[in-house]
Amino acid sequence: MQKISIDPITRLEGHGRIDIFLDEAGNVANAYLVIPELRGFEKFAEGRPVEEMARITPRICGVCPEAHHIASAKAADAVYHIEVPPAGKKLRELLYSAFFIADHTVHFYILAAPDFVLGPDAPPSERNILGLIHKVGVDIGRRVIESRGKAMDIIGLLGGKTIHPVGALPGGVSKAIDEEERAGIEATGHELVEFAQFSLQLFRDVVLGNRIYLDMILSDAYTTPMYYMGLVDGNNRVNFYDGKVRVVDPKGKEFVKYSPEEYLDVVAEHVEPWTYLKFPYLKHVGWKGFVTGMDSGIYQATPLSRLNAADGMATPQAQAAYEEFYSTLGSKPVHGTLATHWARLIELLYAAERLVELATDPEITDPHVRNLPTATPTEGVGIVEAPRGTLTHHFVTDERGIVQKCNLIVGTTNNYAPISISIKKAAEAFIHKGQLLTEGMLNRVEMAFRAYDPCFGCATHTLPGQMPLEVRIRDTEGRVVEILRQHLGK
Amino acid sequence: MMKTLVLGLGNPILTDDGVGIHVVRAAVAQYVPADAVTFAEASVGGLRLLDALAGYDRLILVDAIQTSGGRSGDVYQLAASDLLASLHSGSTHDMSLHTALDLGRRLGMKLPGDGDIVILAVEAEDVLTFSDSCTQAVARAIPRAVEAVRAELEAPLSSAESTQPKA
Repeated sequence: MQKISIDPITRLEGHGRIDIFLDEAGNVANAYLVIPELRGFEKFAEGRPVEEMARITPRICGVCPEAHHIASAKAADAVYHIEVPPAGKKLRELLYSAFFIADHTVHFYILAAPDFVLGPDAPPSERNILGLIHKVGVDIGRRVIESRGKAMDIIGLLGGKTIHPVGALPGGVSKAIDEEERAGIEATGHELVEFAQFSLQLFRDVVLGNRIYLDMILSDAYTTPMYYMGLVDGNNRVNFYDGKVRVVDPKGKEFVKYSPEEYLDVVAEHVEPWTYLKFPYLKHVGWKGFVTGMDSGIYQATPLSRLNAADGMATPQAQAAYEEFYSTLGSKPVHGTLATHWARLIELLYAAERLVELATDPEITDPHVRNLPTATPTEGVGIVEAPRGTLTHHFVTDERGIVQKCNLIVGTTNNYAPISISIKKAAEAFIHKGQLLTEGMLNRVEMAFRAYDPCFGCATHTLPGQMPLEVRIRDTEGRVVEILRQHLGK
Repeated sequence: MMKTLVLGLGNPILTDDGVGIHVVRAAVAQYVPADAVTFAEASVGGLRLLDALAGYDRLILVDAIQTSGGRSGDVYQLAASDLLASLHSGSTHDMSLHTALDLGRRLGMKLPGDGDIVILAVEAEDVLTFSDSCTQAVARAIPRAVEAVRAELEAPLSSAESTQPKA
């Protein structure tokens, strides 16, 4: 069997990469995403006070510390059996909305847009944020960075720190906001709604306005029907902070809706011998291998799945964008992996509108932002939607609140199997026997997993770099006959 | 007033990944505070790293590194130009330091010039296991890295040059 390796992370042995295996005929036989596992977090957490977890778990991930912060705080609320007062809850959601704005902005403009604005066949040296700014102009680049920066400022104001927020505590948050701060957030929120609409219009102009790209979104190479997961409010509308987790089947029918504490009744984890990472799946459908469809328990948790799992958006402009999304793409659920980029922008608009709603809520400046825990701590689960998918934190403590057991299911882990399947589907479409591999072909394969916004290792590491890419073409004896590289240093 | 940032980068609960942060914490304890020098730590990359650098004239970045055949605990001094691409990217959200600086400058942010950026990198042994302490060899390198930070703080601006391992 031949093997092609796309190494998106590093040349070091044991780190994340894509392995594409070719059969004797030279066509794609299988594809796997191999992600390094960080070891021993559960053991590290044991013996520590549960209220510290909201400050420790953000260190797991340099990309979405806010998601871990809030998930841990919610789990600690449950451990202490305490209700968060309305203002505390709204301030947490306000911070969380700002976080989604910053995160989705980064993903769209830095990771997604270059493929479409510059084109998937553009040389990697141009197909990046710098090439994007060169093409669309420095003013748009400045607007992107400023909008993200304003969202980050709100995180800093509410969370105490911009990078690793500390504001959420068991039972609420540490600090209320005054009228001046509220007015500032509201003003910024209106600007961010405009920015989100601008971003959606850019998507319409560049992507939807180009028949080739629209066909690419709808093409079989990027279509993988499966179960879809997302947090919804009481009206089954998308919510990032609170509610129940809803799962719909590949035809869009509700399969299950569960509360955080019920997650182990719904989700199980499959183990494969070639990776330490586990593959979550729906327990009551079962693990049927790397296949999708009604009979396979594989589900995805992404912006696309959140829209598919919901009946709509809770804010008016986002709801209009949601309706346009499904009417343009022709059906619900949408199964096209690349449509995730569009879904992400609809969520960006929702987050900005929700930020304004919360900033103008009469309760938001209420000084009562925390209830002090008094009950004996036991066990609790906190779930939020991270930008990359449903994030579950589960802690069991002793009567002093010291963690005895800890279990986390992070966003990208949900999508581990779907990413592998999407890569295989794209590889089957673009890599064929006898064809010379080009960077454009490999980029089309990479686009399949980039749409998921995967977060490898959930940690910020040594000297962060651009997406390195290495493709190794091996003959049937395993010998490397050709290597293509990009972003792999000197 | 010329402003200098000494930034420890890494994950302080991932064994040697956090050595840069441990170095900066040790350096703070030994350094006489001065208005012109800020010590900070961050567990982020890409654009979030850019946020931390904005407004400074000089940057001394302390981080972990893993090189092919490197010995755990070796301390390297690198220049910004040595890191056109890097070895280890935590996620697809990361962009290299070089790209982040290039982007920031194009957008008019005040950032240190390449000649005023020094990177002190400590060869790491384990960056995959959760622990708030470093492996022995890397822990032993911390005083040498602190000394390297002190020497850099005493050096004039625009003095950065790439070298081989210092120790």
